[in-house]
Amino acid sequence: MLKFIVRRLGSSLVLILVLSAIIFLLQEITPGDPVRAYIGLNASPEAVAAARESLGLNSPLPLRYLHFLGRLLHGDLGVSFRTHRSVVSDLGDFLPATAELVTVAFVFALVLGILFAVSGALRWWGTSVLRGLLLVLATGPSFLLALGGIVLFYSRLGWLPGGDRGANASGPTGFLMIDSLLHGDVAQWATALQHLVLPALALAIAPAIAIGRILRASLETTMNADHVRTARAKGLSEGAVLGGHVVRNSIGPALSMAGLQLGFMFAGVVVVEQIFSWPGIGNYLARSIPVSDFPAIAAVTLVLGTIYIIANALVDLLQAAADPRLNL
Amino acid sequence: MKFADVRSKRSTGDRPDTHPAEGLAASIRGLTVSLERDGARSEVLRGVDLDVGRGEIVGLVGESGSGKSVLALSMMGLLPQASRPRTHGSIEIAGVDVLNSAPSELRDLRRHELGVIFQDPMTSLNPTMRVGTQISEVSHDRETSLQLMTSVGIPDPELRFRVFPHELSGGLRQRVMTAIAVAGRPSLIIADEPTTALDVTVQAQVLELLADLRDTFGCSVVLITHDLAVAAQIADRIAVLYAGRVAELGPVAEMLRRPTHPYTVGLLSSRLSLETPRNLPLTTLKPETATPAERMLGCAYHSRCPLADEKCSREQPPLAPVALGADATLLHERSCWRSVAQVQALAHSRAPVDTVLRSESRQLSEAGESVRLDDVHVRFVLKSGARHREEVHALRGVDLTVGAGESLSIVGESGSGKSTLLRVVAGLIPPTSGAVHVGNKGAQMVFQDAGSSLTPWLTVGELLRERLRPLRLGSAEVQRRLDLALTTIGLPAGIANARPSELSGGQKQRVALARATVIPPSVLLCDEPTSALDASLAASVLNLIRELRSAFAMTVIFVTHDLSVARLMGDQIAVMTQGQIVEMGPATDVIERPEHPYTRSLLASVPTIEVTTS
Repeated sequence: MLKFIVRRLGSSLVLILVLSAIIFLLQEITPGDPVRAYIGLNASPEAVAAARESLGLNSPLPLRYLHFLGRLLHGDLGVSFRTHRSVVSDLGDFLPATAELVTVAFVFALVLGILFAVSGALRWWGTSVLRGLLLVLATGPSFLLALGGIVLFYSRLGWLPGGDRGANASGPTGFLMIDSLLHGDVAQWATALQHLVLPALALAIAPAIAIGRILRASLETTMNADHVRTARAKGLSEGAVLGGHVVRNSIGPALSMAGLQLGFMFAGVVVVEQIFSWPGIGNYLARSIPVSDFPAIAAVTLVLGTIYIIANALVDLLQAAADPRLNL
Repeated sequence: MKFADVRSKRSTGDRPDTHPAEGLAASIRGLTVSLERDGARSEVLRGVDLDVGRGEIVGLVGESGSGKSVLALSMMGLLPQASRPRTHGSIEIAGVDVLNSAPSELRDLRRHELGVIFQDPMTSLNPTMRVGTQISEVSHDRETSLQLMTSVGIPDPELRFRVFPHELSGGLRQRVMTAIAVAGRPSLIIADEPTTALDVTVQAQVLELLADLRDTFGCSVVLITHDLAVAAQIADRIAVLYAGRVAELGPVAEMLRRPTHPYTVGLLSSRLSLETPRNLPLTTLKPETATPAERMLGCAYHSRCPLADEKCSREQPPLAPVALGADATLLHERSCWRSVAQVQALAHSRAPVDTVLRSESRQLSEAGESVRLDDVHVRFVLKSGARHREEVHALRGVDLTVGAGESLSIVGESGSGKSTLLRVVAGLIPPTSGAVHVGNKGAQMVFQDAGSSLTPWLTVGELLRERLRPLRLGSAEVQRRLDLALTTIGLPAGIANARPSELSGGQKQRVALARATVIPPSVLLCDEPTSALDASLAASVLNLIRELRSAFAMTVIFVTHDLSVARLMGDQIAVMTQGQIVEMGPATDVIERPEHPYTRSLLASVPTIEVTTS
């Protein structure tokens, strides 16, 4: 098992390296002069040449990639051409907001997905209503859901805020809902939650359906499996049959879908954060792209890619833990 | 004990008195079960009466669709809810009315009084739970589980306690299943085809184990099987089930020596054994011609019965005791209108119930060989998971020559490499080293599971046309070849428009054969084509393969785990184990004078019906 973990993490590392190389190359071949973006369109040719030299843009390609990697390892992602601040400190400001949003959205997606999956088995009318509602909502793209949510719950009903996080994070985690509790500020906690509900739901609904469908199908398959018949023949209660013999055998496909969806959610935040003026990296990225702010774009891409790779590695490990046939 | 003589492979020992009147483990009265399938409701069991005495082993024999598995599920109270079961009659086990009890009472019944062994231990054990945990779920403590594992013959129980099912061999898995079945000290074990998925040598061990468990724990056993010989190995009484009714019920010796129902006679005569004549067509039962509605009216067997008269198609015969003379201590019952004398005349005539005439004219083409393998090796790298690489040496230097028009049977147990060898000849697996030559008309293959080897969305006609396409024939010629192929295979031309799901198991295998021979190949490769079929159907497919072989002067290589089938299908038999051919020779020599110890152990494990007259 340990060997499997090491191997899986090793291959993730290789993937991250490949990702960094791709980002580096993209940066190289993209039209648009980063130097101009950095020092302005009206700078003199001498100033441009000097800036080019000082940014290390004159060395040969492999050497520049090694430099790029070296700086990555030191946690130096360069200086944003737009904000003129270190990209790392920019990320430090914006990443926690996104991480909090996606975490809450992911929890919503899991809960809704599980409800969706078991709604057929639960004999309560509310679950099938919920299932229908989720299916209808999932047909709309996330920006439409976000706008619809704002129109209904903010403009019309006034139940929820229409954007922003409600406060600025004051450390130590950057997660408002955690920090507020650490500071004993329940009112702020409630505000933070209110601000999170709409954007998180807008992000969560499509993934919830995807996870729920897969889970539902594999639960159904497992419920009809021979070994579940054996478990019933043993005289186990339905609860023991479900808990001991069904869940672990049907969780695998849902896990891999959840991993994929987590990745998609990080990509989806760009749109949702724009609509809710959420001060996260999606917003940051959206402002960096029009001005070819390469260090910022590269850093965000690298961070999102790394999160995606790690999430999927974790999924593989969880699957291996659930099914002993996978790692033997 | 009167019937000890048929239990050829077991010592009889001291067994409890098996007279059903002396206390019952289970009592079934007038059991009728109807299930819904694809919106249509049909009666799967129709008025079954059956008693299981304490310490008794009852063999429940029937072909697929006879309702034997539904009977087992009914006894456990586990009929699939999705099929909306409707039941009448009664089942009483250990004082519990199974059909009318609350779910919690049924759970208690299953936990304390019933043990179950299912057919396929691979799928019937939870793949993600350690073997020991699965046993302990019933036994509730580790020590008892370890003792149970020892008592069902699992070596190194401490070590095996912590493994997962896929890390065990098929035989050990079925022993684990058995340990689970006896863990609750049940009064009744229901074994549903417990040996069908296992190799013959393992099958013999599992049957032995079942009989031992009865002797040690004093529990009763209901042994469900499609093979009369398997039941005869250990059962005290046999119930033959046909279309949801008990056709005949009686003590083993009586049933085998003097069967009193035409269906039992048919089952006995269509069973393939090491004594079945090789030069005659195999005996098959008449195929079912009556519609389900017609079968419901009279005796369900009437349309297949050689003795049936008009009454049989109108009135359902009741299950009634057979008068067989004063020495019968156990009740022998049957449901048939015809006299016992008539049925026994049928049994003694030994005449095939329905014979398909076959021309034995084999035109051996003068051209020498059709398949030649020189020192063929095949190695696979099994990559199970990310870190484990295991090399399997599936074939270790196989030399083989099969003459044109000859037939060769390859026998071996699972993992012997016999299927790999077949796939190498078919060109599906390239040999790692060595040379393979196949005659110029190539090889065609027929697989075990005909159902999954036919593309589900293509009609039979499209499946056959697909094979003819490379010949670029005109459409009239294609149609002629297609009709010819279906006629040869014994199917009506109308079946060309049917999709595989509309066909029966036997028809599917016939279509697979038609597809393989619509352009006659040099060599026809058969990978256990009949092991999923009922005895009588299997015999008819085997007859067909023999006919095709002589009609097209094809070479046939027939892979099977069943020595009696191998003997019937091959001029030569090759015995394989661990990737090598350990013995090869003319079929009769290999069966009658086996030289290799492995061949001898295979022969010793073949379940046989030995009827000795006392």
